Amino acid sequence: MRRRSDVHTLAGAYAMDAVPPSERAAFERHLAGCGECRQEVRGLSEAAASLAAATAVQPSAAFREATLRAAAQTRQLPPADAAPPAPWRALRRQGLGPRGWRPRLGVALAGTVACVLAVVAIVAGISAYGMHSRLDQDQGHDHAVAMVLGAPDAKMMSAPVTTGGTATVVMSHRERALVFTAADLRVLPSSESYELWLMGPAGNKPAGMINVSGSGKMASPMVVAGLSSGDRVGMTVEPAGGSPHPTTPLVVVIALTGA
Amino acid sequence: MTGGQRKPRSGPGGFVPGGDAGAGQAGSRQRPDELGDLLARVALGDADAYAAVYGRTAGQVLGIALSVVRDPAQSEEVAQEVLLDVWRSASRFDPELGSAAAWVMTMAHRRAVDRVRSEQKAAEREQRVAAAEIAYDEVTEAVEARLDRERVRRCLGSLTELQQESVTLAYYGGYTYRQVAELLGVAVGTVKTRMRDGLIRLRDCLGVDA
Repeated sequence: MRRRSDVHTLAGAYAMDAVPPSERAAFERHLAGCGECRQEVRGLSEAAASLAAATAVQPSAAFREATLRAAAQTRQLPPADAAPPAPWRALRRQGLGPRGWRPRLGVALAGTVACVLAVVAIVAGISAYGMHSRLDQDQGHDHAVAMVLGAPDAKMMSAPVTTGGTATVVMSHRERALVFTAADLRVLPSSESYELWLMGPAGNKPAGMINVSGSGKMASPMVVAGLSSGDRVGMTVEPAGGSPHPTTPLVVVIALTGA
Repeated sequence: MTGGQRKPRSGPGGFVPGGDAGAGQAGSRQRPDELGDLLARVALGDADAYAAVYGRTAGQVLGIALSVVRDPAQSEEVAQEVLLDVWRSASRFDPELGSAAAWVMTMAHRRAVDRVRSEQKAAEREQRVAAAEIAYDEVTEAVEARLDRERVRRCLGSLTELQQESVTLAYYGGYTYRQVAELLGVAVGTVKTRMRDGLIRLRDCLGVDA
């Protein structure tokens, strides 16, 4: 009992960085197992931080200029985890987001997604995939792809295709849309095509025919919009012109989870 | 800011005690954290938002560096490192864990303390016992910063003298609780208690006041 109360009394010193390094680890171990202590430390840290107001000074203009200039040349860390980090949640509450559209891909997406982006960028640049007959359709499509990839809450999911290859989805709850792409798909005879489906509680909706580039077995990126929670995206092999409903078993399905 | 919400007092000092951190604050309610919203934009690379964050925090960051580190050149180094870390790691700020102001100032205080402890200049640190008093004549006179300062000063005044002494030596002096005990010739347990009780009083005074 006495030992326990000793540990608790460290909370004030800890909140002011007044616990020597040799004792800090032990206290932090204690904090890890004591929610009440964590809450107390949090409140005391807020109070301690307020003490800085009493010693505020006016930095020189030179200091300001040097600091802002250095920041402009400093890379920023991406969010720590794949789930939407707290700042993005705060942003969504405020209805804010990136001004105009400038992709902050390095910030928003984890490293592996950069590979997907490279694939998508390459495929998007291959005009020979020939799905679009009008230039403005191309631009609209590219913009839609970019909006999802550049969304601050963009999340990537991949799954193997049972008949060969890998399907990848980058989705954004904020945009309520996803970009679907696939690589190394088994080449189908001309009588068949891969078809994409948006599957939800209300049933399966056709989401478009998947166009595989002639040589590379790479599917051009497709945008599926109007997502709802609980939706899944899946792919089947259908007759070349597509079907209103899946007629064969799903060869891949990806659940659109997370919020 | 949506209409009808009471605008929290913040300004060049930029400090709203408690911010979003409802936990640990008696009778607190969720208050919008303007600085936190700015940080969210900084995380997206917004240079204007960063300049605003600088405007609200740099004075306090440099001030606490000067208080703990004392040497002006080193203090500026420490302060600039902290402000750059704010830019670099803005995406790591989690509003669930506390206010943005506390996030910045905790970073600043820790960095200053680390710098001063790594130096181990015993003689210089002895001098700092006498200099632990807060030097108000150095402080900026921008209205809201002055209000923040006066509020903190008043709430510090709600502590007992012994509590003030321990808190001041720890926070502004950068001493560990063991060093404070040694400097004051008091038992470590006593110092720990004074620090904790003092901060609890400070917290309650600021919480009620804000």
